[in-house]
Amino acid sequence: MNENELFEFADFDETKSEHIAAPRYSYWGSVWKTFFRDRFTVFVSILLLFLICFAMIQPMISGYDPLVAPNVNNPSMRLQAPSAQYIFGTDNVGNSVFDAVWAGTRNSIIVSFVCTFINMVIGIAVGAVWGFSKRLDRIMIEVYNVLSNIPYLLLAMILQYILGAGFKPLIITMCCTDWIFVAYFIRTQVMIIRDREYNLASKCLGTSTGTMITKNILPYLISVIMTYISRTIPSYISAEVFLSYMGLGLGAKNASLGKLISQYTSYMNSYPHMFWIPVFILALISISLYIVGQKLSDAADPRTHM
Amino acid sequence: MKGYIGKRLLRSVLSLIVIMTVVFVMVFSLVPRDNIFKNDDTFRKLSAKPDDKRDYVLRTWQNLGYLDYENLNTYCADLYGAGSEATQACVLSTSDEAKAFVEEYEKQGYTIDYLTVSGQPYAYKDLPVISRLFSWFANMIRIDHPWAIQDETNPDLPRGISLGTTPTGGPAIKCSGCVYKYQLYTDSRFPFIHQNFITLNFGTSYPTYRGIAILDVIFDTQGKDVKREVTFETGQTGETGIIFGTCQYKSTLDRLDRNKFVDNYASCMTQKATPSMVGISFIMGILAMILSYGIGLPVGLAMARNKDGIIDKLGMVYIIFIIAVPSLAYIYIFRYMGSSLFGLPIVFPTLGPENWRSWVLPVISLALPSISSLMLWMRRYAVDQMNSDYVKFAKSKGLNQGEIFRNHILKNAIIPIAHGIPASLAGCITGAIITEAIYSVGGMGKMLPDAIKQYNNSMVLALTFMFAGISVVSVLLGDIILIWIDPRISLTEKEGRS
Repeated sequence: MNENELFEFADFDETKSEHIAAPRYSYWGSVWKTFFRDRFTVFVSILLLFLICFAMIQPMISGYDPLVAPNVNNPSMRLQAPSAQYIFGTDNVGNSVFDAVWAGTRNSIIVSFVCTFINMVIGIAVGAVWGFSKRLDRIMIEVYNVLSNIPYLLLAMILQYILGAGFKPLIITMCCTDWIFVAYFIRTQVMIIRDREYNLASKCLGTSTGTMITKNILPYLISVIMTYISRTIPSYISAEVFLSYMGLGLGAKNASLGKLISQYTSYMNSYPHMFWIPVFILALISISLYIVGQKLSDAADPRTHM
Repeated sequence: MKGYIGKRLLRSVLSLIVIMTVVFVMVFSLVPRDNIFKNDDTFRKLSAKPDDKRDYVLRTWQNLGYLDYENLNTYCADLYGAGSEATQACVLSTSDEAKAFVEEYEKQGYTIDYLTVSGQPYAYKDLPVISRLFSWFANMIRIDHPWAIQDETNPDLPRGISLGTTPTGGPAIKCSGCVYKYQLYTDSRFPFIHQNFITLNFGTSYPTYRGIAILDVIFDTQGKDVKREVTFETGQTGETGIIFGTCQYKSTLDRLDRNKFVDNYASCMTQKATPSMVGISFIMGILAMILSYGIGLPVGLAMARNKDGIIDKLGMVYIIFIIAVPSLAYIYIFRYMGSSLFGLPIVFPTLGPENWRSWVLPVISLALPSISSLMLWMRRYAVDQMNSDYVKFAKSKGLNQGEIFRNHILKNAIIPIAHGIPASLAGCITGAIITEAIYSVGGMGKMLPDAIKQYNNSMVLALTFMFAGISVVSVLLGDIILIWIDPRISLTEKEGRS
């Protein structure tokens, strides 16, 4: 074979150069595209959205109030098995478990979302600067040592004496010192990548500290932060269980998933559905939150976009 | 680096003092004092006798360390001796001594008030937080010396230090006139050489574990005495659980003491069957920690290696289960499985700490959440590393998957995990609240919540101080480990950089 048989001339085609050119890249556009590529993720997101909407709307219709028990003097109404009228049965004072569970879900979701939001915003902002500045580290380490070692229960007790029981006091209790843990976590992460070569190079080129934190370091940490958030939201629901157990939760006026679970623990053997239904709802919400968070964190990594 | 650690330790001491100041203010100024009597039966019974009730309230507050309280009865009894006729005349509200009492304590800055029925004066004074804090730190370290005991009933107590042996045979440095008889001694207990020269003192516990020193509550062995045959210094033999090294001075001896001891050092601790609260929590925590690192790290790494494979999916199911189900629920499920499938005891005291079977379920329950979080983070960090350029480079150079993981990814992914190891070690000492409650383990977990609920103020202060000290040190150790395994990180400012 000679050269003419091995090679052939190609025509110049302008349209082909359009195809092989780098596509237009938008970061958040790619994040959503990667996120919604997976059908399972879409399904879980819709489920989560539905659960949250239902938990917000259902208590408004039922008007459930843990202090109002119209059937308390009617023994036949107590501890009924699930039926068409009472989908999850009734509890020990004759109230519908269905209403109680959704009212509790709503309150628990509100508390954990608000607490996570506040703690994350403060924690990430403080942690990023803390990890970056060695001078600040000296002071902040001691602030961390002080804040993280004040007994949480003592603080919760005192805040409840001062503020009373309810939403605001509980949220203040949970946010009062917790942001320092987020900040400490972020600080360690920032410290690990702060001295990496690309950041040293960036610094040599005269990048300002603010730009380095927002453009070089935080995008690198998005996956870690998303993983952290997806664990934190359920953990606040558990923290509420613990505080309710200690008598420092939302108080008698408000239902909460944590309070229901610790109340119904005593029925675990006699009426197992009462214990397992709130656990199941809590698990469903936590799992969907977790999966959405994980998928978001995977999608947030620009290296998965290509 | 050494300079950095030294300075940081110094600053840690400062922050410990700040923590204690904050907690002192919280305990003594912010917690309402009247709440203490909410569930007190004695208080309720006294509601018909306002004088006795007032006396009881003030006495309790004094015991809890809120204030100094003086009343006419003890004032008179000190002057004339309890029960004498002069005392009975003295305690009347119109007596001259009552006036003297008022004058004396008013001068010292006490608040004077009068009981509603008898009209007797009484005096009380709140201690300022700063002086309270100062005396707490000042009394914390106690150095023993031959003039430590000043006992009026025993003026001929010989004073001096000598060499000798304990009744069980170990060589010891003995002291007469000190609080402890044996200043330095050896015996068969861990760590074999013990000293009593410098002791820590955090006060006594009240109202729970009433009258016992805080450190004894936490560190003393629990349960029944372990007895053994011993020849006492008096020549008598008998079965006893006494640890002779711990004997302290006791001013009045009874007949039993005289049979066993030749001198006044007769207040001793005994060896008991169950490890101390700290001991139990620590053993359990260490076992759970070994288990969780032993399982969590390799499984997390395997999950990253088979990303989106079957191991990854199964691991994810486990992680999600632990995160989603509240700990109360999954510990119950697990306990039920363990007892019905393997016949393991459902509570710790059934077989006791001597039997390994009672440890299995609590240790595994304690390890379940930490396994899941270690798996999660190990996977996350390893997956983040897998996409980095150096891994692609190693792959293109022809290294196989195993080599890349062992030599490159593991080393980088383990850095943030190693940072947390000292903190999880510290967590072993503070104990686990829920696990210990479900299995009825007599460990440290319940101590702080219980002490807060029972207003056991000296216990709250001592535990806060100890836990804070441990955690401050563990934060420092974590940072040292971080720079030790990753030389790229530096904690100090380098020359020429701002």
